[in-house]
Amino acid sequence: MDISYLGLGLSALLLIFPLLIFSHLKLKLSGQLFNSFIRMILQLAVIGLVLQFIFASVNLWLTLAWMLIMISNAVITLRGRLKFQRKVILPVLIIALGTTTLIIMPWLIVLTVKPRPLFSPTFLIPIYGMVLGNSMNSCALALERFESGLADNWKAYLSRLSLGASLWEAALPAFKKAMQTSLVPQLLTIASIGVVSLPGMMTGQILGGASPLVAIKYQMMIMISIFSGVCITDYTAISLYLRKRFDRYYLPKP
Amino acid sequence: MLEQLELRLNSLYHNDRQLLGRIHQKVYPKDRILIVGATGSGKSSLLSTLNLMNQSYTGEILFAGTNIKQMKPELLRSRICMVMQEPYLEDASIGDILDLPLQYNALKQREMPQRKQHIKELMHRFKLPEDFLMKQASTLSGGEKQRIALIRVLQLNPEILLLDEISSALDQTSSGIISDFIFESFPGTVIAISHDPLWQSRWQKIWKLDSGTISFLTTGSGV
Repeated sequence: MDISYLGLGLSALLLIFPLLIFSHLKLKLSGQLFNSFIRMILQLAVIGLVLQFIFASVNLWLTLAWMLIMISNAVITLRGRLKFQRKVILPVLIIALGTTTLIIMPWLIVLTVKPRPLFSPTFLIPIYGMVLGNSMNSCALALERFESGLADNWKAYLSRLSLGASLWEAALPAFKKAMQTSLVPQLLTIASIGVVSLPGMMTGQILGGASPLVAIKYQMMIMISIFSGVCITDYTAISLYLRKRFDRYYLPKP
Repeated sequence: MLEQLELRLNSLYHNDRQLLGRIHQKVYPKDRILIVGATGSGKSSLLSTLNLMNQSYTGEILFAGTNIKQMKPELLRSRICMVMQEPYLEDASIGDILDLPLQYNALKQREMPQRKQHIKELMHRFKLPEDFLMKQASTLSGGEKQRIALIRVLQLNPEILLLDEISSALDQTSSGIISDFIFESFPGTVIAISHDPLWQSRWQKIWKLDSGTISFLTTGSGV
């Protein structure tokens, strides 16, 4: 069931309520509201056209090129967000997200969905977007937590070193804490899914006409892939970061 | 007697500022060395070069004939152990804190005969009751933490003990008890920094740091 442009335009009138509320509260958010929504509309319009073109052409190279643009965007966004150790972080992010991509995507394509053709963009691109987006957010959180876990307590780290701990042994407590901070909320979300709200992907599929029984199978697959992807990304990112963050005597680089 | 540690430093610096010039000195097993000097003269910098925690120097340091930079840091640091001024104890029970280093790879192979007995004796000597092992680290006073930090290192039987102002958190009595132990009973080498008058008198050797130079004094008293 398509939405008419008129219908979409009428939905935009719903923004009257936030605008009224802002003006009542003298909250200076109206400018930002217009800015944000216009950006969203333009970005989605461009993406819609590009995806329409990619989906229609069903070309392996075009699909891969688009996936490359997606991962590059993720890396650039992440790099902008992380404010520490800028010099060493780029290869860490590329390898971490790359590893996740190379494990999760072929696995899903070959073993689970088996689309025809195998590189079908209608399947690959939305799934990849979800796996990548979640990995990206979680990776930022995990790296931030790891770095602050070390920086808040250098004394702990240095004490372990001076008792004969290796780099890994001395950093392990901060590593564990970072993983825990990043993964526990994910597990809680997973456990609550379906009870309160329907997840976005499932909602989209049902609105698009798929049967709920098909939609839940996709949803299960995507939750599993996202969690596994997030875990691989966090682990790879912190493990690599660890090696770049310290010198060969395990002391922190400036 | 064969030297245990040999310093052949040309300079010791901190952020491009030279702290000390040439240091050529040997350390022999069972030496008791005190490093003295004004604040900022480089005492801590010098001490922490010995367990690879500071690389701001030119020259080399040999431990049993090997340049320490060629050794695995964790192996060196498990043989030349440092106790710091304000020790860090993990957030756990004292028993667990003492067990923790034993899980490190560098220490897994180390033989620690009668370790439990050794710990018991150390606790007794340091006037800590035995039920301390069950206590949580967060409930300890500064002086108690310092004594536990020292036991944590001593149980590993290090060859060289590096002590950085460890008596500053201790009251007179425990400072005396610990200095007695370190002078009389510890079988290895000790290199220490201390301002504590109780600690000043008994050292065999004194390394005196003064405006960029170091002088080596041998005092009459010994172990």
